[in-house]
Amino acid sequence: MSLEIDVPYLDISDPSFSMHSEAVRNAREQHWYAKTNYGFAILRHEYVSILLKDTRLIQGSGKWPDHNGVHTGLFHDWWTTCLLVLEGDDHHRIRRMLNPAFSFRHIESYVPRCESLAVELVDAIIEKGEFEFVNDFAEPYATRVLCILTGIPESEWSTIARISSSIGLALGITIKNDLAEIEAALAELYGYAESLIADRQANPRDDLVTRLVDANRDGDSLSDDELRNALCLLIFGGMDTTRNQLGLGMQTMMRNPDQWELLAKHPELARNAVEEVMRSNPTTTWVTREAMVDFDWEDLHAPAGSTVHFFTQVSGNDPEAYPNPGIDITAERAPHYGFGGGMHHCLGHFVARMDMAIALRTLSQRMTNIRLNGQDEWMPDSGNTGPVRLPLAFDTR
Amino acid sequence: MHVYVDRAKCDNHGQCTFSAPTVFRLDDTGVLQFDENPDDSLRADVDEAADVCPMQAIMVND
Repeated sequence: MSLEIDVPYLDISDPSFSMHSEAVRNAREQHWYAKTNYGFAILRHEYVSILLKDTRLIQGSGKWPDHNGVHTGLFHDWWTTCLLVLEGDDHHRIRRMLNPAFSFRHIESYVPRCESLAVELVDAIIEKGEFEFVNDFAEPYATRVLCILTGIPESEWSTIARISSSIGLALGITIKNDLAEIEAALAELYGYAESLIADRQANPRDDLVTRLVDANRDGDSLSDDELRNALCLLIFGGMDTTRNQLGLGMQTMMRNPDQWELLAKHPELARNAVEEVMRSNPTTTWVTREAMVDFDWEDLHAPAGSTVHFFTQVSGNDPEAYPNPGIDITAERAPHYGFGGGMHHCLGHFVARMDMAIALRTLSQRMTNIRLNGQDEWMPDSGNTGPVRLPLAFDTR
Repeated sequence: MHVYVDRAKCDNHGQCTFSAPTVFRLDDTGVLQFDENPDDSLRADVDEAADVCPMQAIMVND
């Protein structure tokens, strides 16, 4: 007897599609993957955990510019040679040289400066009793952390934020129309990166850029171009994601005020709070892969070249993996995939984990009874999401 | 040198295989396999593998 499997279908490019919808939850209950208008979406934690690391499914963003009519130019050349989209030996070689500079030990050394920054930003608004979370906290915080990390003067943070958001236009389907702005911003960022590299080559310091300049394995080292490309990726990849994830963190905590109070009393739970936020409410709601070859797994047949999305928010709330999926910052949980996974696991995750823990801890110790204070505005909840505007009011403690 | 991996923490991302490819490898099913007693000459690479592990699942002793 053959068993007919009814595979659910999700139209994920429909503007009304929501990761938080009944339709997606039903699909997850019905089957471990869904068919989509792009290809396939993996829904259950058990399968995301295994298949996200399968090397037959390669990073799926490399051809994004080409798919959208951008075949040459500065952005095309940067994107198609940066670590994010490299595979095989090219990827391993660069990743091996970048990894140590982003190790737990090195990143922990930035804790005191990130703490001072969080306190400075909270001090600036604490008397007012209200703030716009994105503009007054998340964006300056995320950008200035990157300045601290790279050695760009913190006074230039708003320029860096502007550059990063212009390059971010490249991830939208209007990339071709926005290309002039994208390339001007990337050229500006190249300028920052090249002068940092030249400076640290001449004047080494005890910092991240110097460690990257000095990175050398088995007689191999990063070329100046590879180093510049990596620094630009760090700034571009580290800013929007952290800003957005902090906004989602506030949303989660406002929905769970008991957990916010618990965090205020137990600041040592801040790192676990970050994990809970990223599990249940990640900014990267899907991770994209492409089948390098015909890919078969149980009843899934993904022809070579097809797109496979890993739904991180959906798998992070899968009741099979998290029997009590409500927010509990004291819980020990199965790992989430908000940082992706496998060989492409987010390079800067120790930075994000560290700086977001400091931010949530500092905010929780100074503010209570946080509530919406005007009209909030959000990006769509598929792909990369977060608040555009989040006006909040609070009581001080 | 003795290498210990906490299997409850290890999530088989394989970042350690970049740092010390002769000590750590992912098998055909994607599960981490490793040499528990590698040669001391590999100590720097193994320490690096432990330091970059996203799950902080690797411990190294003399």
